[in-house]
Amino acid sequence: MWGACGRNDSMSSTRRQRSAFIAIFILMMPIMLTSVSSTVATSLNENESGNTPEDIWSEDYINMIFPWAPANDDILQFKQYHTYETMKTRMMRLAEDNPDIFEYHEGMNGGTNARGEEVTANAYEGWVYGHSSPWMKITQDVQGGDYNAFVGDNGNYPDRHDVMIVGNHHAREWMSVQVPMLQLEVIAFSYENIGYDNDGDGLVDEDTWGDSNGDGQLDDDGDCLALAPEYQDSNGDGTACGPGDHGVDEDYSEQFITDLVNSREIYLIPMLNVDGNIYDREVFCPEPAWESCPSGGWRKNLRDNTATGVTPIPDLNEQVDEDCDGVDLNRNYQFEWGAPLGATGPLIPGTCSPAEGELDGSNNDVYNGPVDDRDNDGDGQINEDHVDGKDDDADGVTDEDWWGGNSEPETKFIQDMTEMNDDVGDGSSEFKTTLTHHSYSELILWPWGHCTDCQSPDHSQLEYHGQKMADMTQYANLQSSSLYPTSGDFCDWHYGVHGSYCYTSEIGTAFHQRPEDIGHIAVRNLGLGFYIAEIADNPRERANLGLGNVSQQNYLVTPNNVVIPESGDIPIDICVSNEFPYSEANSAVKYRMVKPSRLQSDYGPREWARTPWESVEIERIDKACTTVDGNGTVLRAELPVSESSTGTLHYKAQLTTLSGSQSFYPADGSYYELGIEYRSSYGNLASSLFLFVIIAGAVWGGLGACLRLMLDSDDPREVHK
Amino acid sequence: MGQSDQFSGRLGLIFASIGAAIGTGNIWRFPRMVGANGGGTFLIPWVIFLFVWSIPLVIAEFAMGKRSRTGTVGTFRIFAGKKFAWMGLWTAWISTAIGFYYAIVAGWCLKYFQLGISGGLTGDGVDTTEVWNTFLQNPMQVIAFQFLVIAITLLAIWKGAKAIEKVNVILMTSLFVLLFMTLGLSLWMDLSDGSLDGALFMFTVDPAMLAEPEVWINGLSQSAWSCSAGMGMAITYAVYMRKDEDTVLNAFTMGFANNSISIIAGLAVLSAIFAVSADPLATVTNGSSAITFLALPEVFAQAPGGAVGAFVMMAGFFLALSFAAITSMISTVELCVRNFVDHGYERQRSVLITSIAIFFFGLPSAIMWVKLDSAGVAFPEFLEVQDHIWGYGLMFSGLFIAFSIWKYGYIKWKKEVELGKAPPGFEGYLGIGVSAFRDDYINTGDNDIEDGRRWDLCLYLAFPILFSVLMLSYFGDMIANTEDVWNPANPKGLGIILTFWSVVAIVFISLNKFLIARPLYRNVPEGAEADISLLPGGDDPLVTVVGAEAPMAELVAEAVD
Repeated sequence: MWGACGRNDSMSSTRRQRSAFIAIFILMMPIMLTSVSSTVATSLNENESGNTPEDIWSEDYINMIFPWAPANDDILQFKQYHTYETMKTRMMRLAEDNPDIFEYHEGMNGGTNARGEEVTANAYEGWVYGHSSPWMKITQDVQGGDYNAFVGDNGNYPDRHDVMIVGNHHAREWMSVQVPMLQLEVIAFSYENIGYDNDGDGLVDEDTWGDSNGDGQLDDDGDCLALAPEYQDSNGDGTACGPGDHGVDEDYSEQFITDLVNSREIYLIPMLNVDGNIYDREVFCPEPAWESCPSGGWRKNLRDNTATGVTPIPDLNEQVDEDCDGVDLNRNYQFEWGAPLGATGPLIPGTCSPAEGELDGSNNDVYNGPVDDRDNDGDGQINEDHVDGKDDDADGVTDEDWWGGNSEPETKFIQDMTEMNDDVGDGSSEFKTTLTHHSYSELILWPWGHCTDCQSPDHSQLEYHGQKMADMTQYANLQSSSLYPTSGDFCDWHYGVHGSYCYTSEIGTAFHQRPEDIGHIAVRNLGLGFYIAEIADNPRERANLGLGNVSQQNYLVTPNNVVIPESGDIPIDICVSNEFPYSEANSAVKYRMVKPSRLQSDYGPREWARTPWESVEIERIDKACTTVDGNGTVLRAELPVSESSTGTLHYKAQLTTLSGSQSFYPADGSYYELGIEYRSSYGNLASSLFLFVIIAGAVWGGLGACLRLMLDSDDPREVHK
Repeated sequence: MGQSDQFSGRLGLIFASIGAAIGTGNIWRFPRMVGANGGGTFLIPWVIFLFVWSIPLVIAEFAMGKRSRTGTVGTFRIFAGKKFAWMGLWTAWISTAIGFYYAIVAGWCLKYFQLGISGGLTGDGVDTTEVWNTFLQNPMQVIAFQFLVIAITLLAIWKGAKAIEKVNVILMTSLFVLLFMTLGLSLWMDLSDGSLDGALFMFTVDPAMLAEPEVWINGLSQSAWSCSAGMGMAITYAVYMRKDEDTVLNAFTMGFANNSISIIAGLAVLSAIFAVSADPLATVTNGSSAITFLALPEVFAQAPGGAVGAFVMMAGFFLALSFAAITSMISTVELCVRNFVDHGYERQRSVLITSIAIFFFGLPSAIMWVKLDSAGVAFPEFLEVQDHIWGYGLMFSGLFIAFSIWKYGYIKWKKEVELGKAPPGFEGYLGIGVSAFRDDYINTGDNDIEDGRRWDLCLYLAFPILFSVLMLSYFGDMIANTEDVWNPANPKGLGIILTFWSVVAIVFISLNKFLIARPLYRNVPEGAEADISLLPGGDDPLVTVVGAEAPMAELVAEAVD
């Protein structure tokens, strides 16, 4: 009864199911049909006028959402300005998250400085708000190396080249904080994050700063140029596919950044003038400063010119007196301080006026600070040897009793950091290159500033690197004084006194740029800080090699031209210009073999970046070669690649000159890829026949035996029992 | 409540289980592994592990399924005990979850067969990468072929064992023929350039490679994956065995057939590639499984005999591939369906539900996150993430099977000790416990081949060691090579795998009590009654047979008495 009932039930339900099935099948038919029609449709809709950004890049990249912070964090997304507080918090956080490469500091410990003065930590604190400038020490294994008791930093390595990057000498130049902060974010994010696809187009490191392929376009990979014209000027500055536009220099090499961090010590001071910056933002020209005072604002620091006693006008008011106070920090450095051109001489201090006085020129924006009436060298004379690199009083000591300058906490900080950061102990500055960000005017400036119609001994070299940076940003490349003469600026001092190749960038088009412009302007200037770090090994030689076109003449054999021998090591040749002073001992070819492992179905740069580079020494072989325009010598490295290995060989050359500047070929952070075939024998007939017999015998024979047994046993079972 | 169901004959079962075992892994993964692991060197571990790992596990599965006469859930409920029914659910889920995206992969194969016969892969100016990218980036096409595969699968299993058997016989026979045809052409191609270097490579041992642990691990995983050993397929098909069916012989036949096909496919693919490719090893070993769809069409296009040769190669190979994929798909769906049927659902309804679910849950894999890799080749990332998560889960099904066997041995020994029939202590355990499962469920008297002590060694000694090696090497590799490996948001990490696994395990374990509250209907064909009373879950009053009165009524009646 149960059974019969069940069967009836199931029969009727089967019928129901069948009709349901047919219904569903009919419902599905349109999907199948649409699949055909959509093929037709896509082939008709081929876009002829160029790509849209969505065709190429990730949504995040198009909306300028950086990967290191949530999309709605306006400050970290560079859609709003950092304040002193947010900057400091962020720097501390980055240092906490990246303790292997970042060490956060404020000011310095002090002690006895290079001039024999006793300095305490509070000497670097701003006059009014009392903060020392925050800064970041950046290098690999920053907790290791030597400790510098005066500066207070670890991670001092004699063989790493030091770089100083300073933002915000001038309070109102807000972008000059944003650019170094962006550089800091990029370093934190990119370090050892090799092969990150910055723009989400599926390619990696395809477009680094500048015009690396030499076709005259910054957009090396041509993705911006492939856009329909209406999308090519994403930052709206009027230049199609210019720096700061989507797709231009957007995917730099994380390997390059990692290598830099590993071989340089970067001293990054994003906001030197903390006092002035707080005053500008909170009191003098608060947001929306871009509307109320785009090209105005507070420039100097907050020295109280009345109370500190250098001017006769009493100021009983403790508040900052905007008509009178402050020193222009970028006129306060000692080299040719107060020189006659451009700047206000020390005898005419900031002209202060009572609030209702309305005197002309009431606020001297380029006041260079008080005269130093002390006897700096204790010889009983005052100001007898002004800082200009010459022995003015012919006493055998140069620049020992200065007229003035470095009177401010901020400039003292730079002075002592420069003079006390001496890893090798030779008494000279370690900073072979220095960069200070300013705004605005879209310029790259370099010494001299204090004289017109004059050229520094390194004029053409300075100009050379300046042009490289100008190419990157499409800014104008000028000797500083060609814009207007300035004395006592950061770069004249660094170059004039310490021989550092020093550059001033004049970022953007306003002191207070609109918030929506922060991001693309910062991106446009991002490459500067990396370039300056890159050339820090030997900027003069790099420029000389570049000017003589010597460095570019060296070339590493391209994959097509590598001759892979039937057996043995694979020779990789470098043709080096005869004029290139290479050091055989410190040059090498680096290589690695990459091959997908069984876990990696899409094996790419992210994965093979984990394969370490091996280094093979180069050897000069007796063979001539021809470089682009001259005779050269062949250096060869024999890469020990096993004959039975297959995969891709990555190789690059690292050439070091006798005086230590280091170049990578084909270019920084990149390498050549060469497919390596299996080179040993595929086997011989006899032994493979032997294995074939065994394996096939086991498998096919086993199958045959099983089948026979099975067919036999289809007979009644009793037979076997 | 429906009727019991069985295969009509021995060959039916064999063809069905060979169909389940032979999948795309034999045809496109095996040649790649041979290429990447030193040619003939690879064959040595691969054959050894066939005997040590794959066949013993399949024997165990056949024996369990044949005795329990239920799908994976019921089998674990009966063999491991009520508390462990969730293990069967895990096994079923993993297989079904793989089915979600496997249908799409099978669809790719069908698509390429279609392209092969329509000439879309040959001729001047055909860029196989472009063909692949265009196809993959067109969701409607991918879905259409996925749908087609599911529709074919649904029709094949709609009627139950006999239909499955027929479809498998036809598809597997065609697959043999097609592969042999391809092999002939490949060897001809390889020979015509002077040497049979592809074949030579495939059978030449590189002694240096033989010492590489990697080669052995790859050999083990290839054997385990391609035989579907320990993955619940054999349990499912054993449900339809006739009483006098031989579990041991069937397992051997299935394993040998699987490896035979691999060798044929390997020879065919390697010979063809060595014949035309300048750097054959790079061609076979580089990149993902997508390489099958990029490199092989290029190779086949150069087959001798002009358009006809290319056509035969292309159509033949991809049709064989499609058949292999579809027969595996059939077993996947059947594994799930069997579990529904066991719990009293009507077959057709279960098939329909499963198919629809597989279609809809497969959709994200078909259309989501189709990206370009660094070489500009499209790959479906969502699908790969799914594979990443569930692929490794398969291994646990094998562990659960071993667990049931270990548990049975231990219980049996304890019981015998209590009865005074067996000596206590380790020696007693070795004598009675270890061989208990083999004695009671494998060597039932129906076998042509008696399974000896060797099987115990495999299951008790080799299995746990190899399982650990495999798992440690997988996860060790993953931890070493993946950045941010513990972050569950990283689709390639271990964190995501562990998260999904634990969620599924927790859900299944908590569902266990509902699972065992349901009656379980065993599929016992006439004359195939088998005693399960000795098993941990064998005395469950809710376990009954198909066609019997509903056990609930019986229980109710008991209560009334």
